[in-house]
Amino acid sequence: MRCRRLKDWVGERYDIEGLRGFIRNKYVPSHRLDVWYFAGGLTLFLFIFQFITGMALALYYVPQAEHAHKSIIDIVTKLNMGWLFRSLHHWGGQLAIAVLFVHVFSTLLLKAYRKPRELLWVTGFVMLIISIFFGLSGYFLLWDERAFAAVRVATGGAGNLPLIGGFVKGFLRGDLDVTGETLTRFYAFHVAILPLVTVAVTGLHVVLVQLHGMSVPLSQQNRQRKPEPFFPNLFYKDLIVWLICLGVVVTLAALFPPQIGVKADPLAPAPENIKPEWYFLFLFQTLKLFPGEIAGLNGETIAIIIISAAIAFFFLIPFFDRRSAAERQSRLFTWIGIFYLVYFTVMTVIGFLT
Amino acid sequence: MKLDYSLVTRRTFLNTLFGGWLAALAAGSAYALLRFIFPTLGKEPDFVILNKGDFLDIPINSVKPFAWGGKLGLFFKKENGTTEALKGVCTHMECNITYRPDVKKFYCACHKGWFDESGKNIEGPPPKPLEIFDITIEGDKLIIAKKGVKVALPKA
Repeated sequence: MRCRRLKDWVGERYDIEGLRGFIRNKYVPSHRLDVWYFAGGLTLFLFIFQFITGMALALYYVPQAEHAHKSIIDIVTKLNMGWLFRSLHHWGGQLAIAVLFVHVFSTLLLKAYRKPRELLWVTGFVMLIISIFFGLSGYFLLWDERAFAAVRVATGGAGNLPLIGGFVKGFLRGDLDVTGETLTRFYAFHVAILPLVTVAVTGLHVVLVQLHGMSVPLSQQNRQRKPEPFFPNLFYKDLIVWLICLGVVVTLAALFPPQIGVKADPLAPAPENIKPEWYFLFLFQTLKLFPGEIAGLNGETIAIIIISAAIAFFFLIPFFDRRSAAERQSRLFTWIGIFYLVYFTVMTVIGFLT
Repeated sequence: MKLDYSLVTRRTFLNTLFGGWLAALAAGSAYALLRFIFPTLGKEPDFVILNKGDFLDIPINSVKPFAWGGKLGLFFKKENGTTEALKGVCTHMECNITYRPDVKKFYCACHKGWFDESGKNIEGPPPKPLEIFDITIEGDKLIIAKKGVKVALPKA
């Protein structure tokens, strides 16, 4: 009975029926390739998961160069369930980025970015960059020697950008070199700045999805099955996928807890055989392709310019692909998409194996 | 409303006034914010002063680290007994290098760069040789300075 009164209370003040109507009328296209629709929702789930486990960890982590490394060891060894939460946050992050890449590449290859959904691509791309920066900044909070070397290389690489390089490097490091100042900065990025931007951009992304509905690939437009209602059919399907994913994360977290290396020492030599996180491997391998000097110019700078140009082109694909925008088959951009996917996969695998 | 002899309407005038005021406010705020978030960067030291006794007696074919500002410096005694001081930071991506006495070379583990005994880049991605410092000894002080920097110690 109380529930009835609560319903009335809300109903007298807000348009519940309107919201109900919206959900009742939300249908999702159904076709041979609709399984890729799950990647977006799954990314959202993993982000929520990261927010929750991250908030928990933030209660104990000490963002100060002297104590950071020790505080993580304390979280893992002394706190109730500390090992679990650190491990969950680690694996949640890994999977979030993996699923995000699946989401990006399926969007790219199914041309879901085409008119009128260009802004979905733009907000999604911003989230991709933010996620990678989430990964880098989170990794650095360990303050072990690997993280230290990785951030030195990453911020040093940004320093090779022409014109703005010095500014970007100084902004990221907060100092001439990677120091305790950098830790403070990366902590601020990781727990305050990036999460707020994420909420805003992801919110916009989700609202735009509601506005446009799901994109149907050009090849499937004449072969669609009957659209499925979002509620309850797809709502429950989404929940099933999320639940399986939760199971995977917890299993990985329990069986493969992440390591932590020796505390960072700015004067120690770089550790042997260091490798960046897997989502940086394609950049790492690309940099290896370039010699130190090309025609008297710094090879790094040239490599960074080429990589930046390739990423900028990727970002602008919806605006270059005029054929898709006109709802026509666009083979050129299919091949471009395949090229990006193959390059990313091959370079990541090579980086992983060598 | 527009007066006969006026070039603009009252609305345009007010919009320009408020718009200009807002733009000035935004520019000022952005300037202050940018100044705040970009730290004033220090610079690398021109020289550091170390204790002679801590360094000169190291065994041959070995290095001893010292702090060059926030970066790694290496004091190096070659096989033939001559000494050298250099910046222990790879010229490729700024990783700290290490000395490998078995092959008498400097090695950077990040991207497998190699430098020979004189700091010359010989293999891998490093684009430039290592930075070599000047060494001077005054009393019991070991002064390591950037090439070409004159260091005058105050007379005690």
